[in-house]
Amino acid sequence: MSGFRLDQGGRVDRSRRVSFSFDGATYRGFAGDTLASALLANGVMLFGRSFKYHRPRGLLGAGSEEPNALVSVSRGPGRHTPNLRATAVEIYEGLAATSQNRWPSLKTDLGAINDRLGMFLPAGFYTKTFMWPRSFWDKLYEPAIRRMAGLGEAPSEIDPDHYGAVYAHCDLLIVGAGPAGIDAALEASGTSKRVILIDEQDEPGGGALDDPALWSWLNESLKDLAAAPNVTVLSRTTAFGYYHDNFVGAVERLTDHWAEIGSGPREKLWRIRAGAVILAQGAIERPLVFAANDVPGVMLASAARTFLQRYGVAVGKSVALMAAHDSGWRDAFAHARAGVNVAAIIDVRETIDAALLAEAQALGIAVRLGHSVIEVHGRLGVKGMTVARNDGSAATRIACDALLMAGGWTPSVHLWSHSKGSFAWDEALGAYVPDRPNEKVRCVGACSGKWNFGSGIVIDALPTPRNQARIKAFVDFQNDVTAKDIHLAVREGFKSIEHIKRYTTTGMATDQGKTSNLNGLQIASQALGRPVTEVGLTTFRPPYTPQTFGALAGHAKDDLFQPTRKTPIDGWAEEHGAVFELVAQWRRARYFPQGGDDMHAAVNRECRAVRSAVGIFDASTLGKIEVVGPDAAEFLNRIYTNPWKALEPGRCRYGLLLREDGFITDDGVSARLTPDRFHLTTTTGGAARVLNTMEDYLQTEWPELDVWLTSTTEQWAVIALQGPLARQLLEPLVEGIDLAAEAFPHMAIREGTICGVPTRLFRVSFTGELGFEINVPAAYGRALWEQLMNAGAAWGITPYGTEAMHVLRAEKGFIIVGQDTDGTVTPHDAGLDWAVGKKKPDFVGKRSLARPDIVAAGRKQLVGLLTDDPAVVLEEGAQIVADPAQAIPMTMIGHVTSSYWSEALGRSIALALIEGGHQRMGEMLHVPMPGQVIRAKVSSMVFYDPQGARLHV
Amino acid sequence: MSEALARIDPVSGSAVFANGVTLTLVEPMARFSLRARQPEALEQLLGFKLPRKIGASLDCAACLGPDEWLLRAAAGTKIASGSGQPVSITEISERSVCLIVEGARAAEVLASGCPLDLDRFAVGRATRTVFETVEIILLRTGEDRFQVEVWRSFAPWLRTALETAALQLR
Repeated sequence: MSGFRLDQGGRVDRSRRVSFSFDGATYRGFAGDTLASALLANGVMLFGRSFKYHRPRGLLGAGSEEPNALVSVSRGPGRHTPNLRATAVEIYEGLAATSQNRWPSLKTDLGAINDRLGMFLPAGFYTKTFMWPRSFWDKLYEPAIRRMAGLGEAPSEIDPDHYGAVYAHCDLLIVGAGPAGIDAALEASGTSKRVILIDEQDEPGGGALDDPALWSWLNESLKDLAAAPNVTVLSRTTAFGYYHDNFVGAVERLTDHWAEIGSGPREKLWRIRAGAVILAQGAIERPLVFAANDVPGVMLASAARTFLQRYGVAVGKSVALMAAHDSGWRDAFAHARAGVNVAAIIDVRETIDAALLAEAQALGIAVRLGHSVIEVHGRLGVKGMTVARNDGSAATRIACDALLMAGGWTPSVHLWSHSKGSFAWDEALGAYVPDRPNEKVRCVGACSGKWNFGSGIVIDALPTPRNQARIKAFVDFQNDVTAKDIHLAVREGFKSIEHIKRYTTTGMATDQGKTSNLNGLQIASQALGRPVTEVGLTTFRPPYTPQTFGALAGHAKDDLFQPTRKTPIDGWAEEHGAVFELVAQWRRARYFPQGGDDMHAAVNRECRAVRSAVGIFDASTLGKIEVVGPDAAEFLNRIYTNPWKALEPGRCRYGLLLREDGFITDDGVSARLTPDRFHLTTTTGGAARVLNTMEDYLQTEWPELDVWLTSTTEQWAVIALQGPLARQLLEPLVEGIDLAAEAFPHMAIREGTICGVPTRLFRVSFTGELGFEINVPAAYGRALWEQLMNAGAAWGITPYGTEAMHVLRAEKGFIIVGQDTDGTVTPHDAGLDWAVGKKKPDFVGKRSLARPDIVAAGRKQLVGLLTDDPAVVLEEGAQIVADPAQAIPMTMIGHVTSSYWSEALGRSIALALIEGGHQRMGEMLHVPMPGQVIRAKVSSMVFYDPQGARLHV
Repeated sequence: MSEALARIDPVSGSAVFANGVTLTLVEPMARFSLRARQPEALEQLLGFKLPRKIGASLDCAACLGPDEWLLRAAAGTKIASGSGQPVSITEISERSVCLIVEGARAAEVLASGCPLDLDRFAVGRATRTVFETVEIILLRTGEDRFQVEVWRSFAPWLRTALETAALQLR
């Protein structure tokens, strides 16, 4: 034996040496080692500092249940992973790991002062102490506490790795490739079922990996599974959550164990839909609760055996066992047989199976029954222990450098709990076991409570003659919760485990209480004098173990974060220096700066061009719906507020859409192409919602109507030509359409061709100028745009963006749904009474328009607002008051919804929602802003060309 | 359609090849959304048979829903308007583009973002589904060949997503 590595045994590859570092010191291990086993082999017992008291901590377990040995692994910029369990980190050449939550070093940690002050840091300490003064919490208390109590540091750089994902389907999903899971997979391998077997460790086998007697069976079984075409075995894959209908999320770790990570994905998210699920997650050994049970070197007996038999590493030169369960005896015997000195077996029970006693005797191990450990000696590592009879007498000190705990077993029922399966309390096991399933799932092996580890007794804490209030007997190692914290919670009146858990934080660490939940329950049960089942059962939630954000985010970053929808003309805008804005998922050109234009200058120039010559605008993002069928007009008549049945083919109408509550939800101009075909438009952001709403009414309210809806938003590119010269520009390019004013009036549609491409040409205007909206098949949008730019060069054609569009429409008092309305505005409030059919028997929202509150006086109504000082442009969202001299807080009577500099009027304009606004025409109101109060007069919403003379030319 | 104006597609037409999977943009074609309560009404108008089972396809028509078919034909194809009939025929030729995902591992690439059970999605099937958050119509035209219809503004994102998935197959 060199150091703690045994001369033989274990599954590590002794022919392949691997060097790695921990806190800067270089060590060597073997391929197949975890960071934990390799450090243990080098005699390292100290792995970390605890969360609250900064106590030195070693390994408690050997697998994903490990609460203490959390480390960070860094492998270059952006590749820093904190809070990894050393027991689950595979070593590779060059691995660089560091310990956490200590300063300046692991051995000398100044934060350990908290341990001395432990008496003053009881459960609930922070909430009790740092509440006052309240204002200190954010700036002083919380940051200070966070510095002191913590886990590893979150990475601060962008993660350069890729994360893959897949949807997988199978008939049978088996979680856990221990003997029970492998047996289940073998049984299904002869069938036609698609089987997926997943396991979190680096190799399948589970508990069989710790038992050399099972290795040949394991090899044969894995060979059989590999040969079965219907079975997929996934190692290094953690099933982290069980969701509805047998949907299981799992993360496969692909490159973290490689020395060279390459370019492929680091992890892969498996979204598995299974016909049936078998959970074979095994069981986790339970620690025992006694003073200083967290000194490095005190660990689960089963973990020690894993290190011994799987990794060929002894956890000490002289180990002792503290048992409440037979399984620990077998673990101790394994150590003795491997040549490790077993200092003593202590068992809290008075009587033990004779065969175990005989075997201990044969191996020459001293045994003390009816005894308990009452103290552990050593601070950075175990140096010995004091044991006493259960009545407290005959205290004796025994030297040892590792102390194994065998407190019985806890079935791993996490995924069962996610699936909402019910539980039964098993008194003999002292554990909840799966009872009735909620999904198509069953548990096999140890996670169902069936195991052959022998028997034991269930005990809340080991007997001790010492003052309970003076000892730290840990229950939750990761969150530093002791037995006395739970007693305190009970004394302070908490009776349910759900409350005790939140008050003490037991079971709430990143390990989700895998080793602590049942001890916490037992202690609470004893303290309350009530059976465990009355104290409760805590619920497990995903994830089973912490997972990276990367795995969940997948490719959803950078270009693939989410689709940015671009119009066919977007490329031209980009090449011509447009500044863009996002509208719903679309990006739209906001303005086109020229030379050194700022937005203000560009927008003024664009507005001038539209009012004096011709502007060109990409309106392709407008939602479009083709409504077709014999009942198309009837359908629109029911959906929109205004009448549609009499609209003649070839004409357009403004449609206003309400919700059932009578408030405006969308609007748009729509055209009747033929008696049974309409071309609807919606707002850019409302397109999908409006289609869904219409489809909903059609399917659920009016299934008798013969009419169908088809989204045509992306079928058409739409180019708006607006301005007094629009017709002259268009005339030579269009065939089959008479553009003359009398032949093609405002609010009409014609079909023909433009530049040889079929077009639906609308004569509509959102600017108040003579205007056309040219619809062409989307693939021709850009070429047509360029053609119009060429043809219009002589006319001074000017591309304008959404900002100028907003100014131009505001000058005309045209509303933008969602900007000038906020979901509480009725047609009357918006001054759109003219768009409500008074004689219509019904339309969506009609009934609500007669409700008392909707017709009551004093509602907020949309009006124009003109500042006293024409140069002042109000801020959108600014609050409006009637009397600026009133005391603060003032009564706010409305707010500004739209506000712009109007180049055409040479002054600012605004729209505002104001209480009783329609009755306030001419009234002077006030807009209090920092440093000044702005005076503004209520006006009509139509600021420019109120007669509409410019439209009808 | 036009000599004067050039067509521009939202993604390039050239094939991308990674891990034995190719992504190719299909040439322009005519597309129509056909709707009717009774398929016979459409069949009489159009003069060909429509598939009856949802998810089935027949020649160039795929049944997407109880009253919905997608018809795809050579570019420039004109069909009846259905005017006056209890049907809806709407041209959507330019609404979407079609990407072909082809190769022994084509299904794996699609499974990276499509929740369908592709083992159970036989050749000839067609259905509306999603790839991550983007709606698509997926058609299996061969054991190792899929067509993905996607609205044009989502096509660049989808193409990048499929390409990334193909590149990262292990």
